[in-house]
Amino acid sequence: MTPGAETAAFWSRLIDLSLLTMLVLVAYTMLRSRHLFAIVMLSGIYSLLSAALFVSLDAVDVAFTEAAVGAGVSTVLMLGAMLLTVRREKTQRLGRASLGIAVVALVGAALIYATTAMPAFGDPAAPANSYIGAVYMERTAAEIGVPNVVTAVLASYRGFDTLGETMVIFTAGLGVMLLLGPGSGRGGRSVKDRPGKDEAP
Amino acid sequence: MTQFLAQLPVLPIIIPLIAAPLTMLLPARALKGRIPCLFATLVSWIAFAASAAILHSVATAGPISYHMGDFAPPIGIEYRIDLANALVLTLVSGVAALAFPFSYASIRAEIDDHQLSMFYAMALIAMVGLLGVVITGDAFNVFVFVEISSLSTYALVALGARRDRRALTASFNYLVMGTIGATFFVIGLGLLYQATGTLNMADLKIQLAGRDNPMVEAGFAFILVGMGLKAAMFPMHLWMPNAYAHAPSAVAVFLAATSTKVAVYVIIRFTYTVIGADFDFAGAAFEYLIAPLAVMGMFFASIVAIFQDNLKRMLAYSSVGQIGYMLLGISFGTEQGLAASLVHLFNHGLMKGALFMAAAAVAFRVGSETCDGFRGLARRMPWTAAAFIIAALSLVGVPGTIGFISKWQLLSAAFDSGRAWAGFLIVASSLLSVIYMGRVVELMTLAPAPDASAAVREAPLSMLVPMAILVAANIYFGLSTELTVDLAERAATSLMGAAR
Amino acid sequence: MDLLAFAIERYNYWIFITLMMMGLFIVIARGNLIKKMIGLNVFQTSVFIYYISIGKIAGGTAPIYLPEDLKARMAHGGDHAPLPGKDAIGAGAIRVDESLHGGAGFAGNDLQSLAGKAAPPEGAALHSAPEGAANDILAAPPLTIEDHAGAAGAAADLAKAAAEIVYSNPLPHVLILTAIVVGIATTAVGLALIVRIREAYGTIEEDELEAADDIAEFGYVPSKRGLPEQRAGA
Repeated sequence: MTPGAETAAFWSRLIDLSLLTMLVLVAYTMLRSRHLFAIVMLSGIYSLLSAALFVSLDAVDVAFTEAAVGAGVSTVLMLGAMLLTVRREKTQRLGRASLGIAVVALVGAALIYATTAMPAFGDPAAPANSYIGAVYMERTAAEIGVPNVVTAVLASYRGFDTLGETMVIFTAGLGVMLLLGPGSGRGGRSVKDRPGKDEAP
Repeated sequence: MTQFLAQLPVLPIIIPLIAAPLTMLLPARALKGRIPCLFATLVSWIAFAASAAILHSVATAGPISYHMGDFAPPIGIEYRIDLANALVLTLVSGVAALAFPFSYASIRAEIDDHQLSMFYAMALIAMVGLLGVVITGDAFNVFVFVEISSLSTYALVALGARRDRRALTASFNYLVMGTIGATFFVIGLGLLYQATGTLNMADLKIQLAGRDNPMVEAGFAFILVGMGLKAAMFPMHLWMPNAYAHAPSAVAVFLAATSTKVAVYVIIRFTYTVIGADFDFAGAAFEYLIAPLAVMGMFFASIVAIFQDNLKRMLAYSSVGQIGYMLLGISFGTEQGLAASLVHLFNHGLMKGALFMAAAAVAFRVGSETCDGFRGLARRMPWTAAAFIIAALSLVGVPGTIGFISKWQLLSAAFDSGRAWAGFLIVASSLLSVIYMGRVVELMTLAPAPDASAAVREAPLSMLVPMAILVAANIYFGLSTELTVDLAERAATSLMGAAR
Repeated sequence: MDLLAFAIERYNYWIFITLMMMGLFIVIARGNLIKKMIGLNVFQTSVFIYYISIGKIAGGTAPIYLPEDLKARMAHGGDHAPLPGKDAIGAGAIRVDESLHGGAGFAGNDLQSLAGKAAPPEGAALHSAPEGAANDILAAPPLTIEDHAGAAGAAADLAKAAAEIVYSNPLPHVLILTAIVVGIATTAVGLALIVRIREAYGTIEEDELEAADDIAEFGYVPSKRGLPEQRAGA
């Protein structure tokens, strides 16, 4: 590696590390805060930070999607739901903290155990990077001819996953229509006596 | 024709996948809402026919591999169908083919007319999600279809809110637990992917050979826990009783008969096809963790079931116990145990489907979901009562029914693998099921009907016929074991062969 | 110094674990349903970070061909990389032959022979996946052997041609694009449920909801954490 490249690598790694640290700080603030509005805003910031991290990790398509979906759509949905419900989390002790800590500690321990065997970060010879992913890089130019390999894989090699993904979005839209749309009986039990929206006189 | 048959493996998925959005566009309120129901029924029959054709083809000529978009695996997504998937595929589509016509009367009574088209679209999506999980040979594709089936299920369960608002909280809890489960599954996949670089199940097996390391162990554990959540494995079952109890009755029929079974299938698939037998930790996990949990689930859930007043919740707890039998069978680590689990998986789908259908018919006519609604049922709704009694006998394990076949297989697998204790525990927990089923049967036959009995009629034919078919299957497969036991044994042999 | 390097190498993974733990903790221990949904988001996003970290290659760039590289590759790759599957399989399903040649063995039930072939040498740690293991891996799947050898050769040639260009692994990006969409779909359905719960119960705090459900079920609140002004059972 040339000295210039090395410096660049150093700085990009430094950016990664600081973004990651900021993510933890934001997540911790979200955990502590009880102002739902603040938490929703922080979750937008959290998504933007992770989008920035994805750019730094070369995942530009993912960063774009995360910024649009995570920071944009998701925040708007959360704000809407918050306005329709409550603004503030109740101060309360749920008695679940100990259960939460136990579960979380167990899961964390399992993952930390797993990291001991993980290939080093950025290792080009790691199995994940040297096998199918590399094959996609090799073949796309000749077989698909699209410059963006992520697009090529998304639409061709793993196109069926993408069809499923479209179906997931359709399902979610249909689900929201069933839950909130006409005939959903909004308002719970009491709505039974009320005529459906479009039947209202 | 050959060209058409070559595309056979993808038909049970792609036809409902296209049909679901179309269903949504059908008129909901014309002809008393029959159009969307008939259309969905037709689609589910096509899916069932395709599944049965696949099962026949796999049973006679060996496993099929279908390459999505003609990209050969592991580059592309593969559908790989051997006997184990084909069997579960047939179960899911078969139950759906009966549940759709069954649902007509019940759903019209329980949800708003405006929503019928959307409801049937959603139900088709739930079916296609489960079928997609079963049929695929690609690990990440499993996740996508798990989410399709889960999201649609959350919405379907919440539709019960028109009768009881608790459906909403039940659905939300299910959503939280289900999402945690699915995300655990993705973490597990990530670990396996990081260790191997591939997502194709058969290829994962090849790449994993000889790589016993913490990543693979943790990955397997995450997949097990994630799918355990979806399967309502004992300590992670809390979402399920409420979800089934408050879902619309017809939805509960389909879910109870299929959804947890599919999750158990995924556990089997990953244990044998992906991880395989040369990993000691997988065997140890089943021996020392899953088996005790399975046994605890068998007893705990059965005891809780005895004290339930809501019939659907009682049946749901019973399902938690029955999942325990399946996991116990897998944990033996023998071919016989695996075959017994597969048989029980298939049989339990049939009997729970029949029981929930009877419960739905009672809810439809009597309007009650508690055990009280079953008072004097044998005189008020004789056919429904008879169906319930036969299915209950099957659940308990009376000879001549499929329940007996499953229990017999499990018992002989237990004793042959030198686990006499497991055999005794299976018998003991079956006695518990005698208590909770017996209580309801007693109410039906011996207790006098409440005064209003004159008003109650037998369930309509659209309910009785599917119920009768399912009950007949309970007896048929209990007498003729060719299809289930033989195929399950062959499936187990090939799974174990692949695992080695 | 080595310890520091070790820590920096795994920093992404450890942060992923920390974020995942926080998200999961919010979901389990917090009672407000909206906050639970946000916890689920944090939990899922942490998994995205993990996947993307797997795919990063040191000194790499985004997996989008640079224009001149694409031209070179298209010219180069055209002669020996046929569309996979088209050659041998034709359209549609193929029967997996359980006993015969290697290609089927990959997909077939009898994986043993191939598993043996593809296994890396004893003791080969994952960190240092050696040349040999990589070659074995590439030779195992049913992409015709020449094809793969070709790909490997092409890789070598290209490595010479465009020595500086390293692309990160595209596959995790593809998977996470799908997962993000799944995540937002779950959030949407969850929030719709929350709105309905608020309308039906008048609250979105879990303990109050549980108390209301208990009243509906048993007629009283069995837990000690009773609530003073609960609108019992509506």
